[in-house]
Amino acid sequence: MAQMIANAIRQAGTNFVESLALFLPRMVTTLAIIAVGWLIAMLLRTIVRAVAGWLRINVAAERFGVAPLLKTADLPPADALLGAIVFWLVWLGFLLSGIDVLGFTSLQGLLASFWAFVPRLLLAVVILIIGFVVANFAWRATLLAAVNGRVPSPRLLSGAVRWLILILTGAMALEQIAVARTVVLTAFAIAFGALSLAVAIAFGIGGGGIAKRILEHQFPEQQRSSADEISHL
Amino acid sequence: MAVGHVDVLVGVPTLNNASTVRPVVKAVHQAFSRYFPRDRTVLINSDGGSDDGTPGIVRNASIDDTGTVTVSHSLRTMHRISTPYHGVPGKGNALRQIMTAAELTQARAVAVLNADVTGITPEGVAALVRPVRDQHFDYVAPVYQRHPLEGPLVTQLVRPLMRAAYGWQVREPVAPEFGCSNRFVMHCLEQDVWDSELGRVGIDLWVTAEALAKGFKSCQAGLSPHPATPTRTPFGELFAQVVESAFACLERHAPYWQARNGSEPMLMASPPPSATIEPPAVDGTRLTEAFAKDVESLQSVLESIVSEETLAGLEALAERQPARLRYSDALWVSTVYEFLLAYRSGVMRRDHIVRALAPLYLGRTGSFLRQYATSPEAEVDEALENLCREFERSKADLIQRWNSSR
Repeated sequence: MAQMIANAIRQAGTNFVESLALFLPRMVTTLAIIAVGWLIAMLLRTIVRAVAGWLRINVAAERFGVAPLLKTADLPPADALLGAIVFWLVWLGFLLSGIDVLGFTSLQGLLASFWAFVPRLLLAVVILIIGFVVANFAWRATLLAAVNGRVPSPRLLSGAVRWLILILTGAMALEQIAVARTVVLTAFAIAFGALSLAVAIAFGIGGGGIAKRILEHQFPEQQRSSADEISHL
Repeated sequence: MAVGHVDVLVGVPTLNNASTVRPVVKAVHQAFSRYFPRDRTVLINSDGGSDDGTPGIVRNASIDDTGTVTVSHSLRTMHRISTPYHGVPGKGNALRQIMTAAELTQARAVAVLNADVTGITPEGVAALVRPVRDQHFDYVAPVYQRHPLEGPLVTQLVRPLMRAAYGWQVREPVAPEFGCSNRFVMHCLEQDVWDSELGRVGIDLWVTAEALAKGFKSCQAGLSPHPATPTRTPFGELFAQVVESAFACLERHAPYWQARNGSEPMLMASPPPSATIEPPAVDGTRLTEAFAKDVESLQSVLESIVSEETLAGLEALAERQPARLRYSDALWVSTVYEFLLAYRSGVMRRDHIVRALAPLYLGRTGSFLRQYATSPEAEVDEALENLCREFERSKADLIQRWNSSR
């Protein structure tokens, strides 16, 4: 009896040592992959930031109105953000590769899922960037046109244009990464429909006078602004 | 029709000018008969595709249909050509065609007139041609006899800016009429401006700036009173076109104007005819009515364009009642120069930068018009001269910031 127990313990010990002998190299490999991945990700972040600096990405972000939005959202400047995105994508890739080496069956499909997700994530980021640029351009163009055209409430009008585009962009980005797709689409459709209906009712019933003034300003032949009353040249 | 070589070529760009072009053509014919009877002359009408019969009016205007007794007749055939140009309708393409014709005919002197201004006289045409024909000037800028409160976009912005930058005291840098030599024509045709936005909408300003920057022998000539014809372009578009053209010229000619200090008066080849000019009946307060609201609305745009100090000045100004608004020369100069620097460094789309300046210009113009509405002409002239000097004084700072902005 005692002998059997001793044999079992010995066998368990042998198995443990064999498992450890098999696992330790994998663990070391995993740690090496993670460490090397971290170094490569850091290097790539530095390169991306340098290239972004050379391409004057921050100036472009300022020009297209992305920089103030990043500041408002408490995010780093455009070049640092780009570097951070590259860093995390690359390091996360290495991290998952390292974990894959450990051979945990429950984590087997994680790496494949991650690499399948990356293109969609990048596309969503691109959609967001384009959305920010377009929203800001449209906001500024609307604001300037409204101010120079003497349209009432220029900030409200331009702000509405910006948020409409941003909401549309956000919905598109979330739809791209398939996060709560049904909820996002339904919420967007309801919100957009409600907004359009509210604007139509407000403009049609409550804002007849405003509509009249806006339309009059759109046709300068019918009513010239004070600026058009003098010969500037 | 073969025209051959000509001595004097007068170009009239048109686009739907049926109601105004006839007196211009008459003035040209009278000028040819009275002042250049022995010269080979030609009138070129470059039309941008008028659908109101403008080319027909030019072609059919009788040479003898002057309505006055001419004291002399031309001893040579007076050619008159009306031709459409191809491409985008605009002054640039029309002027290019006129200049090409001048080069082909080797015209000694060229004058370009504005088909919108019916007040042009034969003497005015001669005043633009003579300095080139007789005194070998390369470029003749017009000087209009008009009240100093007229043309505020010129007096408040373009004139002082161009004077401070280019170092020449040109009264009308953005005039659609001018005279020039064949040498200047050939130089202009060689430039790459014609297919650009500047060539399309800002060619009048570019011609003046190019003559100054490239050292062409230039002078000014007085023209008859300049009637304040209502512009066909809405204010917002007109302002954007003129200011963007001025900024674009300054960018093109930066190496020239950065080396210039102060300003020199430009020779007046012939003074404008004396006339009593009434001040314009403009209510300055109306222009400043929306200033406070505009500054508040545009704050987020302005803070990307102007310095904190200038923005604080604008905000302090916006807190005053429109009737008490005093937009000082110093603040206006800072505003214009900082907009120019923002245009150069491209902090946002350039047309957005220029359009953001329009409400501030209206505030400054309204403030100035109200301040000097009842002042004698000499006092207004002095105030405009002080503004020009303020622009000149601040130029050194502009150059320093210009060179460090990129």
